[in-house]
Amino acid sequence: MSSPSQTWKDQLSTQMPEALAREIDVFETQITLRKQGKIEEKLFAETRLRRGVYGQRYDNGQRHDGEKSQELNFPCGALTKGPITVWDAPGMMRIKIPYGKLSARQLEVLAELAEEYSDQILHVTTRQDIQLHFVHIEDTPDLMRRLAAVGITTREACGNSVRNVTACPYAGVCNTQSFDVTPYANALTYFLLGHDDCQDFGRKFKIAFSGCEGESCGLANFHDLGAVATTRTENGTTLRGFRLFVGGGLGSVPQNAQLFDAFLPESELLPTAQAICRVFARLGEKQNRAKARLKFLVKKLGLEEFKRLVLEERDKLRPDERWTAFLSDLHVTDEAPLRPGSPVPSGADASFSAWQRTNVRPQAQEGYGAVTITLPLGDFTSDQARALADLMRKYTGDSLRCTADQNLVMRWVPNGDLPALRADLQAIGLGTGGAGTITDICSCPGTDTCKLGISSSRSLSSELSRQLKEMGDELPEAARGLHIKASGCFNSCGQHHVADLGFLGVSRNVGGRRVPHFQLVVGGQWENNGGSYGMAIGAIPSKRVPDAVKRIVGKFVNERQGEETFHTYINRVGKKEIRAIVDELQVIPPFEVDPSFYSDWGDPRVYTIGDMGVGECAGEIVPFVEMGLAGAEREVFEAQELLEKNDVAGAAKRAYGAMLQAARALTKDRNQNLGDDPAEIVAEFKTHFFDTKLFFDQFAGPKFANFLFKTHDEGGKAESKEAAHQLVDEAQLFVDAAHQCYARLGSSLSTPVQA
Amino acid sequence: MQAEKLQIKLFATTHTVSLEAFVPVFHEWIRVNKLPELMIDVAPYDHVPHGPGILFVGHGSDYFIDEGKGRLGLLYSRKREAPAPGERLRDSLRRAVYVASQLEAEPSLAGHLKFATNELLLRVNDRLRLPSSPAAFEANKAELQAFFGDVLGTAVELSLVSEPRELFTVSVKLPPGAPSPSLAELLTRLGGPPTA
Repeated sequence: MSSPSQTWKDQLSTQMPEALAREIDVFETQITLRKQGKIEEKLFAETRLRRGVYGQRYDNGQRHDGEKSQELNFPCGALTKGPITVWDAPGMMRIKIPYGKLSARQLEVLAELAEEYSDQILHVTTRQDIQLHFVHIEDTPDLMRRLAAVGITTREACGNSVRNVTACPYAGVCNTQSFDVTPYANALTYFLLGHDDCQDFGRKFKIAFSGCEGESCGLANFHDLGAVATTRTENGTTLRGFRLFVGGGLGSVPQNAQLFDAFLPESELLPTAQAICRVFARLGEKQNRAKARLKFLVKKLGLEEFKRLVLEERDKLRPDERWTAFLSDLHVTDEAPLRPGSPVPSGADASFSAWQRTNVRPQAQEGYGAVTITLPLGDFTSDQARALADLMRKYTGDSLRCTADQNLVMRWVPNGDLPALRADLQAIGLGTGGAGTITDICSCPGTDTCKLGISSSRSLSSELSRQLKEMGDELPEAARGLHIKASGCFNSCGQHHVADLGFLGVSRNVGGRRVPHFQLVVGGQWENNGGSYGMAIGAIPSKRVPDAVKRIVGKFVNERQGEETFHTYINRVGKKEIRAIVDELQVIPPFEVDPSFYSDWGDPRVYTIGDMGVGECAGEIVPFVEMGLAGAEREVFEAQELLEKNDVAGAAKRAYGAMLQAARALTKDRNQNLGDDPAEIVAEFKTHFFDTKLFFDQFAGPKFANFLFKTHDEGGKAESKEAAHQLVDEAQLFVDAAHQCYARLGSSLSTPVQA
Repeated sequence: MQAEKLQIKLFATTHTVSLEAFVPVFHEWIRVNKLPELMIDVAPYDHVPHGPGILFVGHGSDYFIDEGKGRLGLLYSRKREAPAPGERLRDSLRRAVYVASQLEAEPSLAGHLKFATNELLLRVNDRLRLPSSPAAFEANKAELQAFFGDVLGTAVELSLVSEPRELFTVSVKLPPGAPSPSLAELLTRLGGPPTA
């Protein structure tokens, strides 16, 4: 038995990569500092968001019970973890899974975390992340440590940062790909993770990779940066590159991405992305959050000017060996199958054949199939996750990917094993077919857990799926391939714009009461990388949405010409005709006659929008310099703690680190190419802040700056506890002086100094 | 027990209502502050087979109408702010039994739901402090035997039913033929309804 005093930090100390372990310790210290009131709540909010620690509904301490708002009396009192966000309120933990790839061991750990810190449910998101809900903030450092021990970081899962880099889940095994985008997605993920040039965004930044143009899987069209694999031949040599798209996005103002480069050579992918990030950080909107995504900047500047600025920035970048180092080993992300490929056994029953039709995609590699595991609403349990880990080991040799349509894909299944795998999946409740069909509905969390949710997208999706499945064979063949997606509000996390039938939560007043509705959006394209967006038809009461779906689908089936797609059909018949058949559904009886319309699916409370809070998608605008100064503060605090433990060398090292971090935070603004080398930081600080006297104190003159120079000359060492004590004090004074300098210079710090 | 995060599962013997039927019950319980602890929300997971069913989320504890391993029951789960070590088992069982009795008495569920007292599960939601292993079971067996024997009124049969990757889970059963107490009797033996 373990000792009660043992901690995950001790237990996993040899298993966590040092850098990840340090980051988590830093976050734990920030939690301590926030509880002591030593970090301002806005700064702490952005800090935790950048670690994936997100808010949830009711975290303002209020909950509407259908009659009135009631206070949730959490024991923490007035302590907050961000503006209007109560400390003790449970939150969501977003776990970045780069391009959705998971190993069996990682899946087992996620299962453990879902049990011990959440509610036994692992939720796959539309960005190939895994989310856990109802997590207490004080459990998050240990949760992160257990992830770090299996190579997963939650860094920059939320906040104004580069979000999870997504990619086609069939990359590497797909029949239509130009080449496997996995190693490129992998390289870009870790190149931009924590990169200085990505720390000063006004909003989030999303990247997607696709192996081909025509399929939907990569969804490059609605990303800030979309990379579609392509090749060209020069002098008999096949060269790899990307069709690079910029400025796409969904949200309330959906925007198709624009082609930035028809053939960006593979060697230019990382530096070009870095240059784009720099331009976005420098020129992107910071005040108006609704206009802060890259799509608005590209629109404002025009593509040509944006491109000119990016290329200009590209030329200024300090060369980085990582730009091309990964190209020498593009097989680093390859997966090795467990067994040789084999043919599908003959004589399969009808049930297996139906499942195979929708859930198995033949791989490019002869004899293998990629199996989609259909997850209801993107959810699966801890028990299922452990069982899946066993099946991965049994059939594929450790290969699983989360998909953007909230399912899982097991790759490298020998075709001969498909019947046995299907049976094993059925035994754990995961053998359902219908992947990618009309019953496989995508949904964001909506009012279940999201502070911005207006209507219950999850419960609507669950109900729609149930009703459509009940139709069984009555569901016409032409309708089966349609995609339905639902978002709880206009922010489009359910990606409703690119569905055949999309829904976004809205509310309407009927007879003085609020009624949950969904705006109907028809004719979007999931194919062609989310090729085009649908048309809004009108708002339908939530409880009437299933009827509306059946009417529209019925009309399509009856009027379809040949093999016409739903997208083409909608463009042919037009908005007016579709609206006409759902018009009468928009009228509902008074509350006194039928109150059921005044509650949402899955929630018996009388509907209200009183529970909506302030969303955290936009994060908090905290400039790079402020994050850096806060980091320096935290290092001084850590130095003090080490001193109390008589760790003289550790305290001196931290004190020196604090000064360097503060100096770097200021100086980075003057020299964007500033690296991490202490000598370079000190030299550049001297040039820009000492020689110019900008850092000089009104009364003490150069005194505080000299603390840095002296400490640097001495190599950040102290010979005795007294000397270390003095060094820690000096570090605190230097950090204070840096704050004063920043306060004096204010926004001019962000303005390049004229020579 | 040293571990704080204890779970108790009471199995349902009769259940002729859908999981959906628990949703309005829990929403109403939040509205009227039915339980002597802070309850926050209701999360339906009835779309997930053999899953946590309906989750009644609280600050210190959660309650699930749980379908784990295919058996319906009420799962009580302590999350934080556990009482002193010597009180933890009693407190967890008391809360589970209290909520089970309240559910049985709930008008919309009455007659459709009954919980057994001759069998339950004890689970420890903390792999660091108590991993699922025969050694851990042996180390805690005497304490569990004494506690459950005392509360259930007779020597109980204990067995470790979890594999190493799972949470430490012990099945507690009354011997065949032993009289099983009613929920009300059990609650009285445990000191009555929880107060905070």
